[in-house]
Amino acid sequence: MKSNDKGDRVNRREFLSSAAAAGVAAASLTNAQSAAAQQTGQSSAATPPTEAQLAMEYDDPSDYSAEEIDEYFVKYPGSDFMVDVIKALDIDYITTNPGSSFRGIHESIVNYGGNSKPELLTCPHEEQAIAMAHGYAKVAGKPLAMLAHGTVGFQHAAMAVYNAWCDRVPVVILGGNHYDATERRAGVEWAHSAQDAAIVVKDYVKWDDTPHSLQHFAESMMRAYKIAMTPPMGPVVVMIDGHLQEAEVGHQSLRIPAMSPTQPPVGDANSIAEAARWLVEAESPVIAADRMAHDQRGIDRLVELAEALQAPVVNLRGRLNFPNTHHLSQGSGELARADVILGLEVNDPWSLVNSLPDRVHRVPKRRGGADTRVISIGVNDLFIKSNYQNFQRYFAADLSIAGDAQATLPALTEAVKAQMSRARSRTNAERKQRWQESHAKRRAASLDAARYAWDASPVSTARVYMELWQLVRDRDWAMVSEDRQQRQWANRLWPMEKAYQFIGGSGGAGVGYGAPAAVGGALAHRAEGRLAINVQRDGDMMYVPGVFWTAAHHRIPLLTVTHNNRGYHQEFMHLQRMASRRLRGMDGSSLVGNTLSDPEPDLAKIAAGMGCWSTGPITEPGDVGPAIKRALDVIDNGEPAFVDVVCQPR
Amino acid sequence: MTALRISPLTVVALPLLLFGLNTAFAQDPEAPATDGKALYLSYQCWQCHGYEGQGGAAARLAGKQYPYAAFARFVRHPNLMPAYPPNLLSDDQLRRIFDFVRSIPEPPPLEDIPVLRENK
Repeated sequence: MKSNDKGDRVNRREFLSSAAAAGVAAASLTNAQSAAAQQTGQSSAATPPTEAQLAMEYDDPSDYSAEEIDEYFVKYPGSDFMVDVIKALDIDYITTNPGSSFRGIHESIVNYGGNSKPELLTCPHEEQAIAMAHGYAKVAGKPLAMLAHGTVGFQHAAMAVYNAWCDRVPVVILGGNHYDATERRAGVEWAHSAQDAAIVVKDYVKWDDTPHSLQHFAESMMRAYKIAMTPPMGPVVVMIDGHLQEAEVGHQSLRIPAMSPTQPPVGDANSIAEAARWLVEAESPVIAADRMAHDQRGIDRLVELAEALQAPVVNLRGRLNFPNTHHLSQGSGELARADVILGLEVNDPWSLVNSLPDRVHRVPKRRGGADTRVISIGVNDLFIKSNYQNFQRYFAADLSIAGDAQATLPALTEAVKAQMSRARSRTNAERKQRWQESHAKRRAASLDAARYAWDASPVSTARVYMELWQLVRDRDWAMVSEDRQQRQWANRLWPMEKAYQFIGGSGGAGVGYGAPAAVGGALAHRAEGRLAINVQRDGDMMYVPGVFWTAAHHRIPLLTVTHNNRGYHQEFMHLQRMASRRLRGMDGSSLVGNTLSDPEPDLAKIAAGMGCWSTGPITEPGDVGPAIKRALDVIDNGEPAFVDVVCQPR
Repeated sequence: MTALRISPLTVVALPLLLFGLNTAFAQDPEAPATDGKALYLSYQCWQCHGYEGQGGAAARLAGKQYPYAAFARFVRHPNLMPAYPPNLLSDDQLRRIFDFVRSIPEPPPLEDIPVLRENK
């Protein structure tokens, strides 16, 4: 890096002489203007500044100390170096809602960094900025950075940080703050500063630090990135002091350390051999995968293992994990029939073989056989915090292997193949045929189910997905939303084979993730020329609709089609359950507090108001396809498009 | 086929309208019951089973040929859905809902829906 050259600095004599000359000129102008104003009778707008104005607007430099003169202009601010560090990490974007606590680095990104790698993306809300980073990372396979403005920024961002934490997704958060109380300007700067501004998210980030020097910042950034990207991945925070950003680098000799990615941990070899033995000897082995596949390699590796065993795979849909077109892709009902279950990065292993009914007296029920053995491979045990309970119920797996499942799969598959006897191998043909038949039946059942309410108004969710499919099937498409609340139609009916075609859900089930994560995912897909598709729930959209402005402003093509059921359907069902349990309120009272009506939000108008092309609300099923077709024309011009469809509840 | 046509406004308005009717039932058990479809809507069955019984958060009802006894068992002593005991939903009302569910017309066959047919 460059260090400051004293020769570039402002010379004291030059500074004072230019200041004095400016002062004389200002005084002369003041006198001349005054005389002219008296002669011409000009209005007061042309009169010279008053003494009070002069006192307020003019600072006599003759009183400056050498230090003040030396720091009057900043040739190489600390935040320029910070940008160098960010560039070294190959971070493409920084999302932010602007704030004065990071005005230094904001300016550096634009004027020093050229607003490229990273490019600054304007977000009307910090929750949106983080959720965009969340969706982006799951597609791009690397994090983007987010700038949070001190106390207020972190509080706005908190919910989305929690989602990323639960979903094991890396996000690099840079937090502005002013640590030196004597340097804070009065008023807002105090309100936006804290001893520990990141404290609101500390329980759900992997690591945070408060660098006290630029070299400290550089090293902490490398450490933060490394930690964020090491499974279990997660968000990290590096605070950037306002003074550190704005002050001159001076004579510091700074260096940017190398980034040394940590190889993901692989499970213990002896335990892998034991797991392989169990799987080979099992009559009905079943594989359950949740947040397993980081990329296509994870899918390919799981296919190889599943085929070696001819074992069905239940995709718990934290990620795509397994091609749904493969004959071994099966439903969760297989778990109850298994004698050995292999769980890969399963968030809740307890529920693989147990359930807890939603009743007043909650007695766990065992699913399937009492002798079912569970092998768990994953990284959840490697990093856990205590306060937030997203780690789920304790479960004593019969064999628990700490290791990144994707990284461990090759060794496991090799061990399985090595242990396969001829007799066992011979059973694979019969198993394959059985699963092919089962897969075909499941496929037929899904198609059959999609017929029901095909012509209904409000439009059925199956109809929405299939109208979409008809128009996107020949493109390089990718879902950037979850389909869990639309009966998993995309997973059931669309052929999904590539890791980027489905990125799972929010992780923490914090509503408001959907729209911004979709825009973030679309941002990553834009670089690859893919069509990003977002089936948007109305309740979710009402949280941070400003993200559609971000999509329009930054020309992020995203096709959004709403699943607009005019309410918070999940909560309706909870309220109905409460009323039923209490023997009352079976008369529509469950709608109270759970509907988005009177007035119904006009989602298409909201999107249009944010600068997106939009159409709707559409209530007739026959109108859905033509509307999507028009939207695709917009998408092809590199713009986001929005189609509001009023749908069945689910 | 004849599809249920329910405007978005009706989604909210009808249950609220029937709120009054249902309250009246509670006060006057001799009052005539509304038809099964109205009960299906007012008792919010559609929220989980869909307006046409196509399923959603809960199982599909349309096209299922359960006998009434099985249907009643699922409603009175459910495993997953909220229970609807007789003092909230009378046997007569339940029967009417059952009749409505059984009367939901079959959707078009797969062969008549090109996008589904092509994906077989």
